[in-house]
Amino acid sequence: MFLALKEMRRSLGRFVMLIAAIGLLVFLVLFQAAIRNGLVTTFVGGIENQSAPVLVLSTDALRQLSASTIDAATQQSISSVNSVAETAQMGQVVAPVTAGGESRAVSVVGYSNAELGGPTTLVTGRLPQVAGEVVANLGDAADGFAIGDTITVLPAGLPLKVVGQATDIDLGFPTLFTTFDTFTDVVRATNPDAGEISPNAIAVRPQAGVSGETVTAEINALGDDVDALTRSQLAEQSPGVAQVKTSFLLIFIIFGIVVPLVTGLFFLIVTFQKAGSLTLLRAVGVRSAALVRSLLVQVFIVVGLGLVVGIALYLPLSSQKLGNISLKFETAVVIFWSILFLVLGLLSSLVAARRVLAIDPIEATTGAGVGR
Amino acid sequence: MKIALLELRRQPRRFGGAVAILTLLGALLMLLGGLLDGLTEGGTNAITAQRADLIVYSANSGAKFAQSRIDPATAAVVAGTDGVTDTGALNVVQLGARLPDSGPRDLVGVRLFGYEIPPAGVGAPPAAGEAYADVTLRDRGAQVGDVVLVGSQKSKVKIIGFVPDTTYVLEPTLWANVETWSSIVGANRPSEQLGVGVSQSLAVTVTGDPLAAASRIDAATGGTTTTLTPAGVVEADKGVQSQNATFGGIIGITVLIAIVVIALFFALLTAERTGLYGVLKALGARSGALFAGVVAQAMILTLIASLIATALALALEVALPPGVVPYSLSATRVISSVGSLLLAAVVGCAFSLRRVLRIDPASAIGGST
Repeated sequence: MFLALKEMRRSLGRFVMLIAAIGLLVFLVLFQAAIRNGLVTTFVGGIENQSAPVLVLSTDALRQLSASTIDAATQQSISSVNSVAETAQMGQVVAPVTAGGESRAVSVVGYSNAELGGPTTLVTGRLPQVAGEVVANLGDAADGFAIGDTITVLPAGLPLKVVGQATDIDLGFPTLFTTFDTFTDVVRATNPDAGEISPNAIAVRPQAGVSGETVTAEINALGDDVDALTRSQLAEQSPGVAQVKTSFLLIFIIFGIVVPLVTGLFFLIVTFQKAGSLTLLRAVGVRSAALVRSLLVQVFIVVGLGLVVGIALYLPLSSQKLGNISLKFETAVVIFWSILFLVLGLLSSLVAARRVLAIDPIEATTGAGVGR
Repeated sequence: MKIALLELRRQPRRFGGAVAILTLLGALLMLLGGLLDGLTEGGTNAITAQRADLIVYSANSGAKFAQSRIDPATAAVVAGTDGVTDTGALNVVQLGARLPDSGPRDLVGVRLFGYEIPPAGVGAPPAAGEAYADVTLRDRGAQVGDVVLVGSQKSKVKIIGFVPDTTYVLEPTLWANVETWSSIVGANRPSEQLGVGVSQSLAVTVTGDPLAAASRIDAATGGTTTTLTPAGVVEADKGVQSQNATFGGIIGITVLIAIVVIALFFALLTAERTGLYGVLKALGARSGALFAGVVAQAMILTLIASLIATALALALEVALPPGVVPYSLSATRVISSVGSLLLAAVVGCAFSLRRVLRIDPASAIGGST
C-alpha cells in the first residue's frame, strides 16, 4: 500500500494525466446527463407537473398538446364515459411576447379547473384568480418571468402579470399557466383572425378506485379520433422525448466503454513496465495479494480523483441555462455514474491483476517477469 | 521511422488497446457530429431549400412562422420596395397525416407548407387538394397518387410527386398552394387560420445584394418586419445556436480527451523505450528522427482507428430505422472528425518530445539517462 502511494508520487505526471482523462470523461458524461434530463423536462415538464391524471388529445395531434383540437361533441362523449368522474378543458398556444425587454416565444397553458390541469409545483406566489394573471416557470425568472413582472402578448399588446412561480413546468418554451379564459384572450391577441377556439385537450379525473389505465382504455374505445393517456404516458410518449433518450443512450454506452478501457490499458502497461520490480518483490517474500491490493488502491485513487475532478468541473455548469434548457445538479445521477465508473475501473484492472498473480518469484533469478 | 513502423507490424498487440480507445473516441466524434448535422438539416431543410433570396417575418415573431403575420398592407409595401422582383406567401402548419393502408391510429407527423415561390426541387404550386411530398414520406410507405388524410377532419391531400431535402423540424413536409393550405388550416386548426390576404411570411426574390434589400424592406415597413436570407433564418434560430454551441463544446472536450489519452499512451511507451532510444542515439540516430517515429506510430494508429470508427458510424446510419434518431453522417463530418483525431495524435505525441530529447546516448554504455 505504502509502495503504491509512493509510486504514484514518483510518477506524478502520468498519474495526473490519467486522472485528467478520467476527469474530463466524467465531466462530459455528467454534463450530457444534465442536458438530457434538462431537455426532457423542457419538453414535457408542463405535462408531468400539472394536476390532471389523464389527458385526452385528438389522435392526429400525435401527442403534442398544442397540435390537438377537441370539439364540443367529443368533450361530451368523454364526460359520459362511466369511469370518468370529472372533466375540464385545457389549451396550449405558443405566443410571441415581450418579457424582460426582449421579444421571445412563450408557451401559454390554460386550464378551466386548477385541480384538473393546473400546476402542481407552485413554490411561491399563488394561482391566477382574475383575468390576465399567470404562473411562470421558476427557472425562467431571470428572463422577465419573476413574480410581479408583466409580459406583453404581441401583436395585440395583451398584458399578463406573473403572480406565482412553479418548478419545471416548461413545454418547449418558457411556459405560463393561466385560466382557460385568459388562454383564449392570448390566442385572440396572437391571431386576431382566429376562428372558434376549442380546447386542445380534455383533462379527466377517474372515478374513485378506477385506475388511469382503465379510464384511458374506456375513453379510447369511443373511437380512433381520441387519444387518452395517463400523465406519465403522455410525458413519456410526447414528440422528441424518445429520440432524445435514444440519442443520449448511444453516447452513454460509448462513454461507459471508454472509461474502463483507458483505466485498464494504463494499469496494464504500467504493470508490464514494472515487471522486474514486482518479480523482485515477490522473490523477497511479498505476497501476490499485497501487490494486487496495491494495484486496486491505485485504481481506486485514480478513478476517485477523476470523479472529483469531473464533478468539480460539472458543478458550476450544472446551475446554468443552455438556451431554454435549465440544467440541474442531480445528486442521484452523480452517485449512479460515480459508482458505475468506480466499479468499471476496478473491473478493468483485473487484467493487470491477473498478470501480477501470474508472476513467478523464481524469474527474479532468470531475468523474466510479467510476460507479454 | 523504419523501426517505428517495423514495431507496429511486428507487435500489433501492444497497440491494440490504444486503437480500441481511439476507435471509440472517433466513433463518438462522428456520432455527436452526425446527431448535430441530423438535427440541423432535419430541422431546417425546408428553409435552406428556398429559392427566394429573402424571407420576411413580422418583427415580433422571432423569425418563427407560427408566430408571424404579414398583413396585405405590409405585403404591398414589401412588393414595392426597391430591388424586390417577386413576393409570395409562405405558410406552414403541423398536422397528423394518415397514409393509405395505415391503421386508424397509425399517423405520421407532417408539416404542410402553403407556397407561391417554389423552393429548390419543388414544382410550381399544384392544383387545389394536391401537394408535393418530401421523400422521407416515401420512406414511410407513401406513393405518388396516394391520397393522404391530414388533421382531425381528415382533409384530403393527393401526392403528385416527391422532392428531396425539404424536411422541417425533423418531420416530412407537404407542399401545397396557399388556398389549399388555408382551407385545411381553417378546417383543422381554426384558431390558427389567417385573415384574407394575410400570410405567416413572405418569400421574396430581389436583384442586387440580398442583405441590402433586406435592410430596405425593414426600413420601408417601419421596422414591423424582420427580413432575413434563408441562411440567416437558420443562423438566427436560437435553438440551432444553442445546439451548435452545446455539441461544439462536447466535441471539443472529446478531442481534448483524445489528446490526453494519446499523450498518456505514448508517454508510457516512450518511458518503456528509454533504453532503446539511448542505444539508437549512441549509434547516431537524431532526436528528431526518433520523435518522428513516435508521431508516425500515433498517426498510423489514429488512421486505423478512424477507419474502424467510420465503418461503425456508417453501420449505425444504416442500422437506425428512419425517425428514431436524427442522425446524418456526411463526408465533411467524417473528414473533420478524422482531422481532429489526427491533430489530437500530433499534439498528444508532443508531450513525449521532451523525454525523447532528454535521453542521453551515454545511457547505452551504462551512463545515466
